[in-house]
Amino acid sequence: MEPPPPPPWDGILPHRSERNKSTSEEYSPSAIPTPINFVNLKPWRKPHDHKFLLPKKLINNGADLTFFHTTEAYRDIMEFVMKLNHSVCPRLLSNGRVQTFVLSEDEEDEGKYCVQVRRVREMLGKVEQVIEQVPAEDYADRRFGNRAFRRFYEVVFGKRGELFEGLGFNEEGAMAELGVYLMGSWGSPERLDYGTGHELSFLAFVGGLWKLGYFGTGEVALRQIVLVIIQRYLQVVRRLILTYSLEPAGSHGVWGLDDHSFLPYIFGSAQYTKPIKDEDDPVPLEGSAPGTPKPSEVSNAASVQNLRKENMYFSAIGFIYDVKKGPFWEHSPTLYDISGISHGWGKINKGMIKMYDAEVLGKLPVVQHFPFGSLWKWEQATDINMRPQGSTLHAASQPVPTTILPTRPYMTTDDERVVKYIEQGRRSSDGVPGRASNQYSITKAPWAKD
Amino acid sequence: MPRLRYRPRPLPDIPPKQLTKANLASVDLDECIARLYKKELLAESVIEAICAKTKELLMRESNVVHVQAPITVVGDIHGQFYDLIEIFRIGGWCPDTNYLFLGDYVDRGMFSIETISLLVCLKLRYPDRIHLIRGNHESRGVTQSYGFYTECVRKYNSANIWHHFTDLFDYLTLSVVIDNRIFCVHGGPFSLVISFVASLSPSANSYLPNPGLSPSIHSIDQIKVIDRYREIPHEGPMADLVWSDPDPERDEFSLSPRGAGYTFGAQVVKKFLSVNNMEHILRAHQLCQEGYQTLFDDQLSTVWSAPNYCYRCGNMASVLEVDTDGSRFFNIFAAAPENDQVKDMQMADKMNPGGEPGALPDYFL
Repeated sequence: MEPPPPPPWDGILPHRSERNKSTSEEYSPSAIPTPINFVNLKPWRKPHDHKFLLPKKLINNGADLTFFHTTEAYRDIMEFVMKLNHSVCPRLLSNGRVQTFVLSEDEEDEGKYCVQVRRVREMLGKVEQVIEQVPAEDYADRRFGNRAFRRFYEVVFGKRGELFEGLGFNEEGAMAELGVYLMGSWGSPERLDYGTGHELSFLAFVGGLWKLGYFGTGEVALRQIVLVIIQRYLQVVRRLILTYSLEPAGSHGVWGLDDHSFLPYIFGSAQYTKPIKDEDDPVPLEGSAPGTPKPSEVSNAASVQNLRKENMYFSAIGFIYDVKKGPFWEHSPTLYDISGISHGWGKINKGMIKMYDAEVLGKLPVVQHFPFGSLWKWEQATDINMRPQGSTLHAASQPVPTTILPTRPYMTTDDERVVKYIEQGRRSSDGVPGRASNQYSITKAPWAKD
Repeated sequence: MPRLRYRPRPLPDIPPKQLTKANLASVDLDECIARLYKKELLAESVIEAICAKTKELLMRESNVVHVQAPITVVGDIHGQFYDLIEIFRIGGWCPDTNYLFLGDYVDRGMFSIETISLLVCLKLRYPDRIHLIRGNHESRGVTQSYGFYTECVRKYNSANIWHHFTDLFDYLTLSVVIDNRIFCVHGGPFSLVISFVASLSPSANSYLPNPGLSPSIHSIDQIKVIDRYREIPHEGPMADLVWSDPDPERDEFSLSPRGAGYTFGAQVVKKFLSVNNMEHILRAHQLCQEGYQTLFDDQLSTVWSAPNYCYRCGNMASVLEVDTDGSRFFNIFAAAPENDQVKDMQMADKMNPGGEPGALPDYFL
């Protein structure tokens, strides 16, 4: 279906100070935001005269968060996620058969990985070896997180050069810039916790490599980034969490999706969507590939044990079973509710992307630590509009001394916008300028960062 | 040394239809309590009436409430209702045992509404036997992010009771002093100078003064003048009281990795106790693997009362029993057996009428 042509746009976004003025305190469903138009995100050919930068933390308050959603960094992160998501959708082959893409623990499959993927995978193996070298400390007065994690972090930090060398990467500036994202991927040595912000940092690391053309331009590499690199990363992280008891601080407890991770739920649901014909097909918004398990299998411990070997969604659910006690519906009510969706994995996939946009990229406590440099730029993208609601949603979550704002934490993010992501995430033509949509605003800088 | 000291007791025998002195129009408080012990939810109108009445009660409490031992002090609960009941089983039921709760009743757990409803009803029914301090989660901002809001909407299909409860949170007291010797707070002591400097400069760390410079900054009297009937602000003394953490590796105040409140070291604690002529600081706010942690030569303890936090941490929990002679005993306990029971889906049905998974987040509609 063709989207309606966007209305004419005068090309002027209001000044930041204007954008932050309160225009409406309540979510109004009539204010339909304009979808973001994608530039065609591609790996760079060769950044000849490119100046790398040491990434800096730039998000400090609600106003910065609102600006973040207009930046090239935000656009590129979202687009990179969509590209990865698209790459693992099942394919309908010309002979009528369906090809699905599953995880593999088979060492023999390693030969099929492209050399760069193998290198990154080996690098993750080296990081995992550090966990073995630095066992958890046994000390009487410990709170929860194990202080040995700080030692682990120091050792990995000391090995940065070696790790990059293994990647066959020697450009100093790029190493410095990407190194910040790599070191942000393991959790916080200060707070001894791990969350989706750290996961995002790893995404930025791999995405940065990809942008630099490290993995080439092919779809196969994208797919292997998901099923091999990100999956391997998640394995290392799960081991970190178990070894050093990294706290679920910042987690929403039973009311979040998962204590630590988000990406496996996006890519895992994509693995089971209705098959697409070719690279130009959008990710289906409903339906499942034939022969895929029902979403309700998440409550069946035996099925989960089987499926966690092939699918990232079930791999993440399997980890929940490993670490949590009690009935599934009780400790994971959100995942339980999602398992009742009857419109297939495509529907779940679409919801996961919307939720990621709102709950990870839209939340100050998560993205405030994300640093910006030359690869993920803190510059207003001219080809996207305001991300219309993330800021409002979160602004509404902030303390207001005298009055209470009406709030809806599970506010509907705009369907159409995500549909656009999904349609355009594959390979969009040049962005058509849209119009500045209604401005939502921050009323108070957020402060709660527990 | 603390030891396991289980003393399981049966539920108190409550006559089913006895009207209370509080006489909240038609609300029978004892019946509400009996229902809540069975983990049944109260009607919205009942919650509204109870919250209104409790507000009147709390309004009369000072920011620093003075109580007497013996008293049992409870740390974070976070909606772990089964474990709250376990605390009563182990420590004695209200009002046979005096209780002081240090805050963080809601968020993260599955049963925050049941937990806070029960505690509020008990407070209203036995105002001198149970005291509730405000924690950093008793706030609109935090509960919207960390689960309580979602739970309210999910279980009551509207945000009304979230409004009733969060309005009530504004009235909870900030600190309690036991027998003029133990200072109890959710997070930690504060410094007016620090709070002031922080409001001037985001890089306050470089200006952090020596608390020894101004003996007045640690006075408990300064807590009494805080206007507490409000949402927890993002900085200032009220925020510090509910957000701060001890740091055994430092002497003074420094910025907290939480992004709110401060961390405070040995010298701060020492100074605070000597200025106020107190013996001990008792607080909650941090998960402890053993259920409690004692720091700074036994001058400060953390009590944590949510065992196997978030169904996964495998930690122990404790309540601290303070006796009339000032002695302190950590009564340690593990997760209540109900947490592990394979409940039939009737329980899920209660939450999701129709027996199917329901209440999808809007992202999936």
